[in-house]
Amino acid sequence: MGEGLYQAISKAVTEGEEEEAVKRVQEALKSGSPPVEIMQRGIVAGISKAGELWKANEYFLPDVIMAADAFKAAMAVLKPSLKEGEGAKKGKKVVMGVVQGDVHDLGKSLVIAMLTSAGFEVIDLGIDVPLQKFIDAAREQKPDIIGLGAYMTTTMLEMKSIIAELEKQGLRRKLKVMVGGVPTSQEFADQVGADAWGKDALDAVQKALKL
Amino acid sequence: MANPMLEILRGLIYGNILPVGKLSPGARVFATLMGRHGDIVPFLAPQIHDHAMTVAKVPARKYYYDAELLVDTELAVERWYGFDAPMITADNYNFEVEALGAKMVYSDYGMPAVDTNQPLIKERADLDRLGALDPTKGRIPVGVEIARLSAAKGLGLFANGLFCSPFSFICAATGYPKAVRALRKDPAYAKELFDYAENKAIFPYLKAQAKAGVKQTIGADAWSAFPNLTPEMVDEWVVPSAMRLKERGKKDLKMRVSAGAAAADYCEEDPAKFNKEIMFKCLSVALKLLPMNMTMTVMGRTQDWDMRWVQEFAVKNKKWGRKLPIYASLNSRFVRDSTPQQIVEKIREWINIMGRDGGLMFFIGNVPADTPPVNVHTALQAVHKLGHYPIAKDLSAITVEPHKFTPFDDWLKGQPEADVIFKAREKK
Repeated sequence: MGEGLYQAISKAVTEGEEEEAVKRVQEALKSGSPPVEIMQRGIVAGISKAGELWKANEYFLPDVIMAADAFKAAMAVLKPSLKEGEGAKKGKKVVMGVVQGDVHDLGKSLVIAMLTSAGFEVIDLGIDVPLQKFIDAAREQKPDIIGLGAYMTTTMLEMKSIIAELEKQGLRRKLKVMVGGVPTSQEFADQVGADAWGKDALDAVQKALKL
Repeated sequence: MANPMLEILRGLIYGNILPVGKLSPGARVFATLMGRHGDIVPFLAPQIHDHAMTVAKVPARKYYYDAELLVDTELAVERWYGFDAPMITADNYNFEVEALGAKMVYSDYGMPAVDTNQPLIKERADLDRLGALDPTKGRIPVGVEIARLSAAKGLGLFANGLFCSPFSFICAATGYPKAVRALRKDPAYAKELFDYAENKAIFPYLKAQAKAGVKQTIGADAWSAFPNLTPEMVDEWVVPSAMRLKERGKKDLKMRVSAGAAAADYCEEDPAKFNKEIMFKCLSVALKLLPMNMTMTVMGRTQDWDMRWVQEFAVKNKKWGRKLPIYASLNSRFVRDSTPQQIVEKIREWINIMGRDGGLMFFIGNVPADTPPVNVHTALQAVHKLGHYPIAKDLSAITVEPHKFTPFDDWLKGQPEADVIFKAREKK
């Protein structure tokens, strides 16, 4: 047991073989492998490899989607076995949501999968999230980072209001804000006062690590 | 617009035999489409619906439900900017799914959006449950009227209907991840989805357009752009589907149906990953879907491209001794976020690389709602000034200042669209 099984989990996640990933995680749990090891050396290694292949132009979005599916399925099986806090004990806390009026979920889901794999604790506020909900989450969850997503040129303007409100309420001092989504850009991020812009899921993780 | 046949003829003569005089905007475009050049490089109207709505200050809840308001607003804003060929677009991806009962999110400020978190199609059985689209439902009558009006208001050869292409429809109905999963893991289900999209969802809409007298219609397909789909996946799924719709449109409706607009568009976002081989594959597959031979760029991060690659592709794939015309699209975020001078410099660079031998047209992928109008005006001015044939030997010697323009409201007074737009601003 051990290395071979971790490699099999990792391979199944990278190749987007959802059923195989679940089967192998169950096998590993049954064999007594530590859940944290299964996560780090199997599941996280697999999604990280998919990210590397994406970066190297060997994987495209459909491949990343398949890998993210396998990642989510494998984590769902593993999660009950992880002790509280074990999965993200070193990670920063991120609150993520798609701004009000916008219901596009894909980009956010990919970013969450990649952030989780990089050790962040992610609280997903979902889609079509009103400004007040971001403010409440900043106050209650005390995250290190708030991630705002938008897909439309009209809804992205909401990001400016959220950032301004965080500022107004004195919540920005210890809080970094990241923005992302198809119509956004570095220039836009600068204009609205964000701390970083993620051009894709992998880039978002790299920027989040630096914040 | 003048008589379209005369415009084609004038463009053909100018491009092939007698390049003298000043062309009308339409003739300028046709001369360029022949792979030659007109008097100046043309700038085609972009996808501009949200931006036009913002410039004209008309409420979204009227604009997206009133065909005349939408068509008039876009035509007025496009004319205010001075584009060479008009184009009418709407939220093309929504009409069919909305009419079939998809959950939508409506907004006071922008176009409606499909809520794919509560998908219209969750499983196979939904295809039978949904049945065929009823063209009297949702905003289908608005979509048909937009197409009819675009012909009635004189768009000539640029008049067309709009629809959502099959793969993008599937994404709107199931969500993109499920659509991709079907292509990758369950091809039998993917075939059922395409069959449903083509014949039960889209065809009834096309039939309603044909009944209203629409002669050609274009299916938007941004979900099939790269890297959402690889060029190989577009070739395997999107191209055959577009061909089926084309044939059926021709046979049953006597209408030209072009599905797959923007499919295989090279939309790599990371300049470090730009890859000539993949770009050429994308451009080659896109060629199969276009109604005419063209090197097509639409939504990509073109501000960071090496445009010599695009020129190389166009020359390499020449037909009848002429390079393929290049549809060169300025990235929408670039146009929004840049200074006017940065836009001028980009246009100068592109004309220098791709414009000297003709066959170059400018476009903007999609003008974002909040784009400063001065940026669009300046882009138009730069293309028309720098793109004057024969192209100046030293383009760097030509200065283009940010364009001074009449504010839209002042310009609108006395225009044929004024009443419709001003009335729409009134609160009811």
